[in-house]
Amino acid sequence: MEKFLKKKFAIVGVGMVSGRFPEYGMRTLQAEAARLAIEDAGLQPSQVNGAVDLQLAPGSGSPPLETDAFPRILGLPCRMFFSIGRGGQAGILGIVAASKFLEMGMADYVVLSYGATDWSRTHNKQRTNVRSVEKIGHWGKPFGDVAAVSHHTFFASRHMHEYGTRPEAFGEIAVAQRAWAQLNPNAHFHGRPLSLDDYMNAPMAIDPYRLQDMCIVNDGGVAFVLTTAERARDLKRKPVYVLGAGTGEAMERLWWEKANYTQLAVETAKACAFREADITLKDVDFAGLYDCFTGEVLFQVEDYGWCKKGEGGDFLRGGAIGPGGKIPINTSGGLLAAYYFGELTHIHEAIMQLRGEAGARQVADAKIGIASGHGGEILAPGMCSTHGTLVLGRD
Amino acid sequence: MAIPRPKPNLNESIIPFWHAVNDKKFKLMRCTKCSAWYFPAAYCRFHANEPFYGNMRWEEASGRGKVFAYNIHHRSLHPAFEGPYVYALIELEEGPMFGTNIVGCAPEDVKIGMPVEVVFSQVEEDLILPQFRPSGIVCEPA
Repeated sequence: MEKFLKKKFAIVGVGMVSGRFPEYGMRTLQAEAARLAIEDAGLQPSQVNGAVDLQLAPGSGSPPLETDAFPRILGLPCRMFFSIGRGGQAGILGIVAASKFLEMGMADYVVLSYGATDWSRTHNKQRTNVRSVEKIGHWGKPFGDVAAVSHHTFFASRHMHEYGTRPEAFGEIAVAQRAWAQLNPNAHFHGRPLSLDDYMNAPMAIDPYRLQDMCIVNDGGVAFVLTTAERARDLKRKPVYVLGAGTGEAMERLWWEKANYTQLAVETAKACAFREADITLKDVDFAGLYDCFTGEVLFQVEDYGWCKKGEGGDFLRGGAIGPGGKIPINTSGGLLAAYYFGELTHIHEAIMQLRGEAGARQVADAKIGIASGHGGEILAPGMCSTHGTLVLGRD
Repeated sequence: MAIPRPKPNLNESIIPFWHAVNDKKFKLMRCTKCSAWYFPAAYCRFHANEPFYGNMRWEEASGRGKVFAYNIHHRSLHPAFEGPYVYALIELEEGPMFGTNIVGCAPEDVKIGMPVEVVFSQVEEDLILPQFRPSGIVCEPA
């Protein structure tokens, strides 16, 4: 099969703002991230004639609709602009779509941006508390299925039941990512390490999960600029090439075969992305694996093939994915310990690693990295069925 | 005043289920052509379908199943709920999965594979929920 993506498109600029910004709306945070990315690329806003609004629909469902558009705020002369996303993945879908528009000559440079006001929405009482609203359709809120953790725990529960997985396996993930966060000054948990004893002694929140198994909530934005490899050569940053991308869906397995409660839909996503990139797992120097909860990381360590299904607990023992471990995973600290921007957290980190700008957490000689996205609709008993794999690389 | 639970936010395809619950009946969707069961509403995946679920009917089911997965909410994530409570995924005898609470036993006694049956709990004046309890245990209605 002919390869579409391989090294034809590159990320040439990146921007992020992260923390608590109750004074700014989502579109402003998104515009600010985009402004930073355009500046980082060494471009003028007048050169950026394509834009993509990256939308996640985490936990409680779709974010509230905002009437404004970030290219308007920045004054970008766009010929193409659209919103894209599903569940916890938007960047991978946005890159594939934008690539095609670049190929067709619809745009020269496309800025893709995501904005989040998750912390403000849940903590700022002056605002509308959108999370208290039951989504239309079938969900389990009357039964107390009130947050993503209320049903994501089912997956961890099944893995423990089917493979005898111990709480320590989830603990190893929380501990390793917290260790990475100590090397990332921008991480939420920077300066607050976690030991396996701390983890095991922490109280159960939603058994089998402790608070340390759950991702954090923050405001901010992540953006990056995509262009053709040809144009990338003339810009000031080292290009980060899009080597491959793919997606998977688990609806059928979740609902009919009841088989996907201990795995994510990695199979087809990985197959397509790795085929496009012409790589195997051995070529992957580091990975950003979607980590809304620790369990998702455990599943993916198995699903991608670093170990066999059910053996994740053994594989993870002793800091296998942490600094100095077998494979560097979620080196920013990830959604659990750094910042929650869905899979944009991992795409951002991959760009930093491949440009050699990851500071104390830099993976030596990192040439190829992957980022994964995950999520889906909230339909009781829970249907996080989508998975995305993105392969990025450098010269 | 106690904060009420969120009510089921109904759309057209789930209304018949909740109407049945109000009559203390546990209904699933069933194909009139091949008798396959579904929940929530779906077209039958084994053959061609008539327009708009024409070959599907809401039909009373056994209300029995087994615990497939579960958690214990020790923390309340919403002011209407007090922990600890169990939220579980039930694999119904007919095949579909159903997310609900396990009542009628201590949270720590819930186990995967445990046989359970539906119980209609009047949790609030205007809200009946199809919760599940260990099979064969007689308990006072909530």
